[in-house]
Amino acid sequence: MAEEENNWKEAELRRDDIKKLLENTKKLAGMYSEIMEVKRQSWENVLKAKIKKAKKEKHNG
Amino acid sequence: MAEFSALLTAKAEWKPHQIAKAGDIASLAAAASALADTVKSTLSLASAGMEVVKLLATLQNINPLLIALEALADEVLKQIQDLKEAGYWYLYVDPYYEGNVSPTQKYNYGFEQLRNQAGDLIWSYKDGSGNWSDKTDTPTLAKINSDDAKPHLASPRKLIPGGYDSSNPLVDPLRSSDDGGVSKFPTFTTKEVIKEFTKAFDDEGDVPRYKLVGEVSAAPKAEEIVYDVDGNAYTGWNPKIDFGLELFDLGKASEDGSTVKNYVAGRKALNTKVAPGKPNILGNTEFVGGSGAIAIIIASGNFNEFIDVFNKFSQMFSDIPEFSSSTGKNLLDALTEIITPNDVTVKLTQVDTKFQSFIVGDVIGGQKYLSLGKIKEIVEGSVVPTTMVGRKAVGKTDDEGNIVSTMTDYNMNEVERWVDMEVVISPIRNLDGLNPWITGDMVVEMEERGTSGSTGDDVFPNYVVKGGDTTELPKELRIYPKVAIVAMEKLMILPESTPPDFGGIQIKDIVPGWGEFFQLLENFVLQLKGMISDSASFVQDMIDMIKQVEAFLEYMIKIIDEFLKFFQITLPSQGVYALYIPNQPDGNEGIKTQLSSATGIPDLGYAAGLLFVGTEGDKLIAGGGSKNPIDLLALVLGLLDDEEAPVNPAGNSTAEDAAAAVGKALAGTDKDAWKDKSTSEKMASLLF
Repeated sequence: MAEEENNWKEAELRRDDIKKLLENTKKLAGMYSEIMEVKRQSWENVLKAKIKKAKKEKHNG
Repeated sequence: MAEFSALLTAKAEWKPHQIAKAGDIASLAAAASALADTVKSTLSLASAGMEVVKLLATLQNINPLLIALEALADEVLKQIQDLKEAGYWYLYVDPYYEGNVSPTQKYNYGFEQLRNQAGDLIWSYKDGSGNWSDKTDTPTLAKINSDDAKPHLASPRKLIPGGYDSSNPLVDPLRSSDDGGVSKFPTFTTKEVIKEFTKAFDDEGDVPRYKLVGEVSAAPKAEEIVYDVDGNAYTGWNPKIDFGLELFDLGKASEDGSTVKNYVAGRKALNTKVAPGKPNILGNTEFVGGSGAIAIIIASGNFNEFIDVFNKFSQMFSDIPEFSSSTGKNLLDALTEIITPNDVTVKLTQVDTKFQSFIVGDVIGGQKYLSLGKIKEIVEGSVVPTTMVGRKAVGKTDDEGNIVSTMTDYNMNEVERWVDMEVVISPIRNLDGLNPWITGDMVVEMEERGTSGSTGDDVFPNYVVKGGDTTELPKELRIYPKVAIVAMEKLMILPESTPPDFGGIQIKDIVPGWGEFFQLLENFVLQLKGMISDSASFVQDMIDMIKQVEAFLEYMIKIIDEFLKFFQITLPSQGVYALYIPNQPDGNEGIKTQLSSATGIPDLGYAAGLLFVGTEGDKLIAGGGSKNPIDLLALVLGLLDDEEAPVNPAGNSTAEDAAAAVGKALAGTDKDAWKDKSTSEKMASLLF
């Protein structure tokens, strides 16, 4: 090994391992959140349709 | 004194460490794994659900977002797996918190030498007529040896830390600590930390130890052949002896009538690790093979700066058990207490008002046990005359004229010259640390004579007994200090803290959030299983549940952002020194040599260190650049270059691709395609 490598240096330490893990987790949570949003909106549409259908049936009946 | 003596038996020990396994990160890994299962179960449930609702939609109709989510979950799992495979030994050299090494004392105990008002040492010189006179000029060693000069010692003699040292009489122990003078803080230098690092490789007894699992009778008999983790055979087995490597019994050749083919699954562990020992390969600590190290030293010439950097460092590495503040006093508290010790309440008795009573601001010190502190408060209502009951003989003449002597009590403190009082004291460190207030010790008023330390916060007044330099003068010239006797130290109730408190973000704090998060998702899926129906109430319940999940996800993201804010900060380089020894072929001895010969670190007074050692394995780690996990550690700690280093050097971009796919799906064609789906198709997608 070169002698230069064998020297103490002042270092700016990072924790990229934890950072990356957290970033990925955030991404996971964000993605799941988006999926939930799409699902919720769709269910809301289904519910609206059901209510509309029920009203129509009541009106016809 | 006590805090130093407690350290005399201390020793730094090697411990095993895995980034992803240490403490609470293990829970995090388990949680992420649960998420992957959840995601997968939502996919499998999709097909089951479609059967239930009798839909003809196929798997291709499943929301592409879920597939992207699964890909990302797999990416997280892979990352955790990489980190889990990276195991290290670590050695924490800790002079201050738990104290596993002994700080070197820079002072000797010696008789107190008088000082003038400026703090200069007073020397007595003999003139031609044999008379002695005092000067502050430092004599030559020759004059001291010929008895023409001598230190003017305090009278009566008092043994103090940093007193007169006959073996080295000319230098003042209170000279600047930059010049080697004493410090009130326990000093442990960078050189001493490096010495501890290298010393730890030499401990012959510090080897891995494995103990027998179960009863001796159930283990193979002595001298039977046993096997290591790789299946290599060994002789010399004895169930009563601890060995240095993990051993296995071959296990049964057949089970339930069929031959056991998977011997790895069929073998039986004979022992379990009870001590990790110093870095080793399969138990051999004297190995010649690939090993590497990362040494980190936190150091400063100023104790306050040292604490500041060390605190940040410990927060950043709170997955290392020694830096976790889950129990008891945390590291910052311990260090802060060195600088600002908690107040104590001391009951004083026989405070002699003839020499004046103590007041707030007085510095008092114990004569024998060298306690020292400043009076912060005199407890209200605590000042009462000291009860001093004497016994005396009183002669009484009876009716027959006989004098009868009887013993009676009398008040010795009738004029109330002596009083008791309770005082709240802010303790002051002496050169030998904080000393206790011992019952019966005489406490006297102290005054400043000179200072110790170097500059700034490191400079402390040197306190001596007030009038201590006048005890040899005629009575009328003597100065008498205020005086009392310690009755007892009272237990002090610690004050309530006022927010915000000093404290660190802890990796373990992430876990509760993670646990709840994944648990909720699991429950959500499980509930869906039993709720498949097309009733309006079911649909409403579904919407409500989704809203709850959305709210919780939002909360989770907020928490993660908080943690990210912390971990996105790099530790400032000032005061942090690192030495990276990449994988090298000479085993522990090679690391030791390189540690000893490395240069470039100043010898600063206050230091602590952390040494990671990794040994070369069979498998390539992470991106495949190295077989030694130490290289992965160097990468994630940012020691390899100045640029932001990726965790996965292989550059696997699955997660990024997945995220991009999600964005596209939501914003683009998939979203539009959604609108064109039939209600039944939507049902299938929406449920799962």
